[in-house]
Amino acid sequence: MKIAVCIKRVPDMETRFKIAASGTAVDEAGLKYDMSDFDGYAVETALQLNEKQGPGETVVISLGPDVVQEQLRKALSMGADRAVQLKAERVPTDGLVIARALAAELKGGAYDLIFFGRQAVDSANATVGPMVAELLGLPCATAVSTLDIANGRGTARRDLEGAAEIVEFALPAVVTIDEGMPRARYPSLKGIMAAKKKPLEVKPAQLGEERLTLEKMELPPERAAGRIVGEGPGAVAELVRLLHTEAKVL
Amino acid sequence: MRTENAVFLLVLLLAAGFFSYNVQRLLSYLSIAQPDDRSGHPLVRLKNVITVAFLQKKILRDPVAGPMHALIFWGFVVLTVGTIELLLNGSFPAFSYAFLPSQLYTFYSISQDVFGALVLGAIAFAFYRRLVLHPERLEGDGLEHSDALLILGAIAGLMVTMFAVNAFGLALEPDSITRAKPLSLALSIPLRNLPTGLLTGAHAVFWWMHALLVLAFLNYLPYSKHLHIVSSIPNVYFSNSQGPGPKGVIRFLDLEAENVEQFGAADVDQMTWKDLLDGYTCTECGRCTSVCPAHLTGKVLSPRKIIIDTRRRLMEKAPLMLGDYSEVAHHALVHGEGDEGSMSATAILEHRLLDNFITEEELWQCTTCRACIQECPVGIEHLDHIVDMRRNLVLMESRFPPEVLPTFESMERNGSPWAFRPDDRAKWADGLDIPTMAELTERGESPEILFWVGCMGSFDDRSKKISVAFARILQAAGVPFAILGQEETCNGDPARRMGNEYLYQTLAKQNIETLTRCDVKTIVTFCPHCFHQIGNEYPQLGGNYEVIHHSTYIERLLEAGRVPFDTDAGKTLTMAYHDSCYLGRYNDVYDAPRETLRRALPIVTMVEPERTRDRGMCCGAGGGRMFMEETQGKRINIERAEQLLATGADTLAVACPFCMTMISDGVKAKGSDVPVLDISEVVASRLRV
Repeated sequence: MKIAVCIKRVPDMETRFKIAASGTAVDEAGLKYDMSDFDGYAVETALQLNEKQGPGETVVISLGPDVVQEQLRKALSMGADRAVQLKAERVPTDGLVIARALAAELKGGAYDLIFFGRQAVDSANATVGPMVAELLGLPCATAVSTLDIANGRGTARRDLEGAAEIVEFALPAVVTIDEGMPRARYPSLKGIMAAKKKPLEVKPAQLGEERLTLEKMELPPERAAGRIVGEGPGAVAELVRLLHTEAKVL
Repeated sequence: MRTENAVFLLVLLLAAGFFSYNVQRLLSYLSIAQPDDRSGHPLVRLKNVITVAFLQKKILRDPVAGPMHALIFWGFVVLTVGTIELLLNGSFPAFSYAFLPSQLYTFYSISQDVFGALVLGAIAFAFYRRLVLHPERLEGDGLEHSDALLILGAIAGLMVTMFAVNAFGLALEPDSITRAKPLSLALSIPLRNLPTGLLTGAHAVFWWMHALLVLAFLNYLPYSKHLHIVSSIPNVYFSNSQGPGPKGVIRFLDLEAENVEQFGAADVDQMTWKDLLDGYTCTECGRCTSVCPAHLTGKVLSPRKIIIDTRRRLMEKAPLMLGDYSEVAHHALVHGEGDEGSMSATAILEHRLLDNFITEEELWQCTTCRACIQECPVGIEHLDHIVDMRRNLVLMESRFPPEVLPTFESMERNGSPWAFRPDDRAKWADGLDIPTMAELTERGESPEILFWVGCMGSFDDRSKKISVAFARILQAAGVPFAILGQEETCNGDPARRMGNEYLYQTLAKQNIETLTRCDVKTIVTFCPHCFHQIGNEYPQLGGNYEVIHHSTYIERLLEAGRVPFDTDAGKTLTMAYHDSCYLGRYNDVYDAPRETLRRALPIVTMVEPERTRDRGMCCGAGGGRMFMEETQGKRINIERAEQLLATGADTLAVACPFCMTMISDGVKAKGSDVPVLDISEVVASRLRV
């Protein structure tokens, strides 16, 4: 099968973020980057599908400045066959602009499956995958936690709050991948060496006008430190009172 | 030359020829291996041969089997001199050592008799030990006793026939020059009355029996574990287990070399020739396995099996690689192609050491504690095998226990094995007025030492207290020091021990770059893993620093009277100190922590657990085991905690943050409230405030 996986470069979410002087971006000093977690699941799912189902091709695509090549190389070192960078100075805020650029690249590719992560762990919009499906006129299964492909059809499970849905669709299709799928493999040194020789094509991204712009970023208010109400059974009454009146959880 | 001499000469030449053919065959198998330069430091290596091989230093660590083996070995050396005389004399009757000065010849004669008797006694005990006492370490790993019993029987036969030859010879010629042999002479006295013809015949028969047994035994060696009498001296010579250089240093892997496509070893031809020589040398004594913490707690790992498997696989694969299919053909002829126990050449070549002989599970159970290497009397380096196979698993196949993935990823992203924020690294030092190297450099100052805190000391709540204790000692002693703060990252030891050389080198190079930029000369750390890694393994990557463990450093401060103590004598404690593997067996630091405790607590009673110093048992955290689940058998830290608590100590002392975690958890699991302290905490508790 020919599978495309669209991946995004994101900062390590464990970082204590600071807002940059511009007020519309995070301060990049000291940030470490990686592939968005869900995108990692997506790459792994694609690789395992092709490993299981025989000859295929896994193509990874990322939109952004040259630094995204780092994440594309990582996907190649995991085992993807080739990579495409849609070069852009920055990743647009407007998901539709990204979706159009990706759709333009994916359109002639004759892909059986197009994978996305459920959402990017940094911007958390969860929009680009469904938009690409719409632009390409393909069925779209979102937030999928198991996936079976057989005879040109896909069956996927979607875990919902307290329930699950099983959906079916015909290929080609767009699928966004959730947790539950296998975690991204750790690239072996052999894979890293091999990735250096794999093709990584750089093309300009066809970016339209953004109808959504980022005006301002701010940090969430600092959480108040925990309070010790008291010790022993004597403190229970006060604790219950506070949980009732202040925390309002009782 | 008489006919019988000519016949014997022919037999001798045939036997020698067949033996040398087999030796060359075994040597040719080593040619499939990877290179490893062990040519340096011939004098140190020679010294190892003298102490370990000839003086039997390691063998004698076993108080029972040790003297037994030493007698057999020394007897073998002494009696070989006589065997040479006998073999030459058999071919050329004119030859004997009689040309020697008579006193020397007498000494030689006595030595043959005395050692003959000692060997016989030792062999008798060896039979008794193997057949009646059944020592545990001689069992397991699919071993059969037949080989050992055959060998013991052969040696016994050699001794009996030797005495018979001498006795009948002396009965024939009581005044012979060989009469200095007291036992043979005594045995000959009752024989003197026998008819001369009978004596001559018996002498000839025993002579041939003895000579043929010597030659048969010689040619049995290449097919038996007894080959060690040939291979152990070279193996000890080429072993790095006793030095030259620091112990336990892992072989450097050049990751940037052109055209290298294999990292680590999955099969014998990817191992070094020394690894394969280890296989030839193992005599299956089981000293290694009997001290292995994994084995002792009921896990599948047996270091002996790793070495035996290496040899078994070598004997199976090497002939095929060298174009010799006779074994396979022979097997197929006897058992039929495809029968059980028989495999086609293709199947053998498709097999490999990893997976088909040694499982992943065994390899991940190793704590890299070096107890096996410490005990091995013939210089086998089990860890080279294990780490090389771990390297193949990680670097080639990305196979490792799932819980290790976050460890690797965190080391990559956060510079420590845990997902703590790197910017919190120096948080433990808040308010303690400890400068960072960067701050000092800005002020144009340079400290006397760099205090390398390590990931445990920076992030682990219990170990942070050790960081504080050690910093307080340094401050009280007026030592100008600094820390790296956020510039410090994991030294890479867990990655390296788990086979992830790529990640290790990335981290190590980063640290070396930082240390060089800060112009660091002397580093003091309380983590034995940081201590060993930076001091002994960073030189491979061009990082050369004086690295001192805090136990040694504090001992020096105490000795120099630089630590201001309170005037009282401190608590009266009964303490057991637990040796860290990376401090003890890797670096021979045994006395400094004990001496530190003694100096800090004038009325301390030191008690030792049964396994202590270079026999100390691992806490279970080394070799990356800290970051793996322990699912099989008893937990190692609980076993060790039991051993330490059995001393009756009221306080346990450690000198390693990993040991601290493991032993504390073990003590807690036993429901005991005996405190576990780092030696620096003991010292800090006595500081004059």
